[in-house]
Amino acid sequence: MKFGDKDINPSKIICVGTNYMDHIEETKLDIPKEPVLFPKTPNCLIFDKDPIIYPKWLYNNRKYNRIDYEAELAFIVKEKCKYVSQDNAYEHILGYTVFNDVTARKMQAKDIVSKLPWFRSKSFDTFGPIGPVIKEVNEIKDPHNLNIELRVNGEVKQSSNTKHLLFKVPELLEYISKFFTLEPGDIIATGTPAGIGPIHPGDLIETSIEKIGTLTNKVILEEEVN
Amino acid sequence: MVKIGNIEINPTKIICLGRNYLDHIQETNAPIPTEPVFFVKTLNTLVTDNQPIIYPKILFENENLNRVDYEVELAFIIFQTCKNIKARSAFDYIQGYTIFLDITARNMQKNDRNIHLPWYRSKNFDTFGPIGPRIAPCSEIENPDDLVIQLKVNGVVKQLSNTKHMLFKIPVVLEYISSFITLKRGDIIATGTPSGIGSIIPGDVIEASIEKIGKITHEVILEED
Repeated sequence: MKFGDKDINPSKIICVGTNYMDHIEETKLDIPKEPVLFPKTPNCLIFDKDPIIYPKWLYNNRKYNRIDYEAELAFIVKEKCKYVSQDNAYEHILGYTVFNDVTARKMQAKDIVSKLPWFRSKSFDTFGPIGPVIKEVNEIKDPHNLNIELRVNGEVKQSSNTKHLLFKVPELLEYISKFFTLEPGDIIATGTPAGIGPIHPGDLIETSIEKIGTLTNKVILEEEVN
Repeated sequence: MVKIGNIEINPTKIICLGRNYLDHIQETNAPIPTEPVFFVKTLNTLVTDNQPIIYPKILFENENLNRVDYEVELAFIIFQTCKNIKARSAFDYIQGYTIFLDITARNMQKNDRNIHLPWYRSKNFDTFGPIGPRIAPCSEIENPDDLVIQLKVNGVVKQLSNTKHMLFKIPVVLEYISSFITLKRGDIIATGTPSGIGSIIPGDVIEASIEKIGKITHEVILEED
């Protein structure tokens, strides 16, 4: 995966759910005592200016036809690591980028109620826009004081700051690396603030994080499969 | 990159089916699914024949979490990139079959599920995905729906079933999963476990076998400091 001037080869994408208080309140979820983790698979990754493809079979099914944006700060793992201490977490981080955790919301809500995995609603192809660049750790001294914003067709829908993260970047890396060996290029997305809402074919989604840049993706309806 | 027998594969994902044998659904008191239930394991879980399964110390030392289970499964390997494929042409996209162990931190999974959390962390500790000992090509196994599947712990048979008891058969599974996500060459799909699941502890030797494929053997060891 070519990322501006950096080539990364992620073996996994780990997302943190319910990590902004304002988002926890809007979704009526419990405040987690430890980070909530779920995976997305690499087939979801697309870059700046690539389209988000709205799957036709979701679009045509009233039980499933809601897809949401979720603006998130993500960080990229620099080298293979396990049992990282939060004291030296930043040594293991290559840099930061913008991630949109696109989610088939009605499907997720239905699966959550049935105590099923959070996987299928999160990992359709193109449901993980990322970019436009990786800003290195030394370029962003404090990742916990960055404005984060998402606009749909120019209208601001999410506007917050990474200082509202419940579990901060070093805590997340310590926690996640207790479970899994992380590999260079692995992507960790840190959760979304309040203001989630739906996207529709034709929408233009702009996701910005201060000091990193803006990720722009248009939503298009999947074409008929031959 | 993982070498299974004499074949190297480069999977981008491991997709596992839950609740795909009726006897296992009954033993876990789970509802019968109306469509396949699937979840992900990440590549850090993979180990091959004769490598140890490492029992994480953070589970072993916590009495709320110290149950880790075996689950023997038939897995298939994707042959070429595919999306939205039809069940009738499914076998064109399968390279072959192998044995997979879906090692699961059971108490952690139950706790997470009861509070509606994802099924992820309990399934994805390092070494929680033994695979092998080889990939049997489709040409060797004309009917994957009639294979004896067995798991032994320290020589005692714990799981014994046949792949004919799978609720969703391989072509249906492949059609369903590929309606969500693009599959790539080398991707691994594990088809679920039959009844008889139970726990493993450090020192156990696990032998998992599937007719016409072979056997994998893994010792369970406690993680060192």
